[in-house]
Amino acid sequence: MEHADLAAAASSVSLWSLFMQAGLIVKLVMIGLIGASVWTWAIVIDKYMTFAKAKRQFDQFEQVFWSGQSLEELYRTLAERQNSGLAAIFVAAMREWKKSFERGARSPIGLQMRIDRAMDVTIARESETYEARLPSLATIGSAGPFIGLFGTVVGIMTSFQAIAGSKSTNLAVVAPGIAEALLATAIGLVAAIPAVMAYNKFMGDAGKLSSRMEGFADEFSAILSRQIDEKLQPRQAAQ
Amino acid sequence: MKTSLGTSLVMHTLVLSWALLSLSAPASFEVAPVDALPVDIVPVESITQTQKGEQNAPKTEKPAPKETKNQKVVENAENAGDNDIDLKNPPTPAKRPVETEVAAAPPKVEKPLPNPTNENNQVKDIAPEETVEKPQEVAALPQPKPEITPPTPKPEPQPEPKPVEKQAEEIPLPDAAPIPAARPKPEPPKPQEAKPAEKPAEQKPDAKAAEKTPDKKVSDKKQEVAKAASSQQSDFNADEIATMLNKQEAAGGGAKRSTEVASRGDKKTIGVGLSATEIDSVKGQIQGNWSLVAGLTGVQEVRVRIRVELDQAGNIVGQPEVTATGGPEGTRRAVESSTRRALFKSAPLKNLPPEKYEGEKGWNVLVLNFDPSEFAL
Repeated sequence: MEHADLAAAASSVSLWSLFMQAGLIVKLVMIGLIGASVWTWAIVIDKYMTFAKAKRQFDQFEQVFWSGQSLEELYRTLAERQNSGLAAIFVAAMREWKKSFERGARSPIGLQMRIDRAMDVTIARESETYEARLPSLATIGSAGPFIGLFGTVVGIMTSFQAIAGSKSTNLAVVAPGIAEALLATAIGLVAAIPAVMAYNKFMGDAGKLSSRMEGFADEFSAILSRQIDEKLQPRQAAQ
Repeated sequence: MKTSLGTSLVMHTLVLSWALLSLSAPASFEVAPVDALPVDIVPVESITQTQKGEQNAPKTEKPAPKETKNQKVVENAENAGDNDIDLKNPPTPAKRPVETEVAAAPPKVEKPLPNPTNENNQVKDIAPEETVEKPQEVAALPQPKPEITPPTPKPEPQPEPKPVEKQAEEIPLPDAAPIPAARPKPEPPKPQEAKPAEKPAEQKPDAKAAEKTPDKKVSDKKQEVAKAASSQQSDFNADEIATMLNKQEAAGGGAKRSTEVASRGDKKTIGVGLSATEIDSVKGQIQGNWSLVAGLTGVQEVRVRIRVELDQAGNIVGQPEVTATGGPEGTRRAVESSTRRALFKSAPLKNLPPEKYEGEKGWNVLVLNFDPSEFAL
């Protein structure tokens, strides 16, 4: 009799039955943590693809940019597209340049400043898209274990109450409740660990990308400034 | 983002379903099946306090076992008998007395051993020497006997074997049989001085035997020496085992002495006192009727002892003795009188087992002690 009971108790320690045995709060915690894990991995996959693509685009653009091709031509091909990264910065700067020259800019310093501003704004917007959703990774990474722990504490509390009710301290009575409660912490850790690692990695990547964009912006700004000087000199001479 | 969310969802479903399927139930630990061990709680009183009678003796009021001839008191003996070792099996008379006793003699010759050392090697060396001398000594025995007897009162172990041996000579053979069995453990640790004293006592019947078996004894002796050495060192009682195994000599019988005439006893009497639970029950009955005046000084130091005679129905017979000790005089008197009142109120006392009425420890005379924590205040 007793052996059979013990065997039955032991077989009911599978993951599914553990989940089904858990109380409502613990279940909600577990479901929430599984959702957090899904979200984490969605962000990880998304960011991985985004960053890989961004890196490729950066490389391609830099190759085209430094290939000696006419910037006007490049601007014309890129202007119609939806741009991101370096191309977006280039297009923003070129647009400002064009506008200023079409209306006849007078001060080279003002033009330079406007172009820089336009590029800064674009950099800020681009790096914002790169860093988007990374804070939620950080949140999951830091709060996940606590949420899991909360589920565990609640689960252990209820299972202790149940043990007190059953008036038996047999391990077969005590163990399933505690195992079930610990499952919540396990899921919390499963969600949190990849989140923390991914957050650190992608923050680093985003930092690299934005510094690369800044570097490009500085270089391009230098080129444009030279151009401004060259273009404004004849006008001033003509006047 | 949608595609990656979808990918993530699919991935999680896959991992979770795999986990649910393959990580279903961890193999439970191997636990050796343990059989429940039935445990009975047997009060030792049922063994130590039982009054055993003699089945064939006439009925009297009090059962008593047959009077034992050996009156040397053995501590903690439970079974009545003449034995020096308390054995549970009843005494069996020897079937073939004379020759077998001679054969059983060799062990006694062991006494001349000079050294009580534990090592067997030394013993072996010495054994042959003794055996060589043996026949001479034995032949000369009758003469040294009177010489050595005077010192006999000095050594302690001597009184033990002597009365036994004397009885052996006087009494017909079956009774003499337990003699070898009676040889107690104290032998091995005996000092050397004791040995000559014992010799005369025990060798009287051996004189012939010693002469008859001069050579065989060597090997026998060695064995006996080894036995003695081993029994010195461990709790293992070789003598007891030997007496139990010996079918030739009379064996068995307890060591509890009886001085009374054997009688069968009128009724089964187990002289078992009341158990703690029963005493508590009686105390509870008295406590329930207790009303003590509040505000007495020094009640905490008062102890009350009640000695009351009861009849079978639990009624009080005669005047109960109530004695209070400790505390101030007034308080003591108040406690005494309230105790007496409570006692009379609670008579007849209930829940007393009738089978425990009789006997020295029975509740025909009930003695109860109360301490302050038990006063129903």
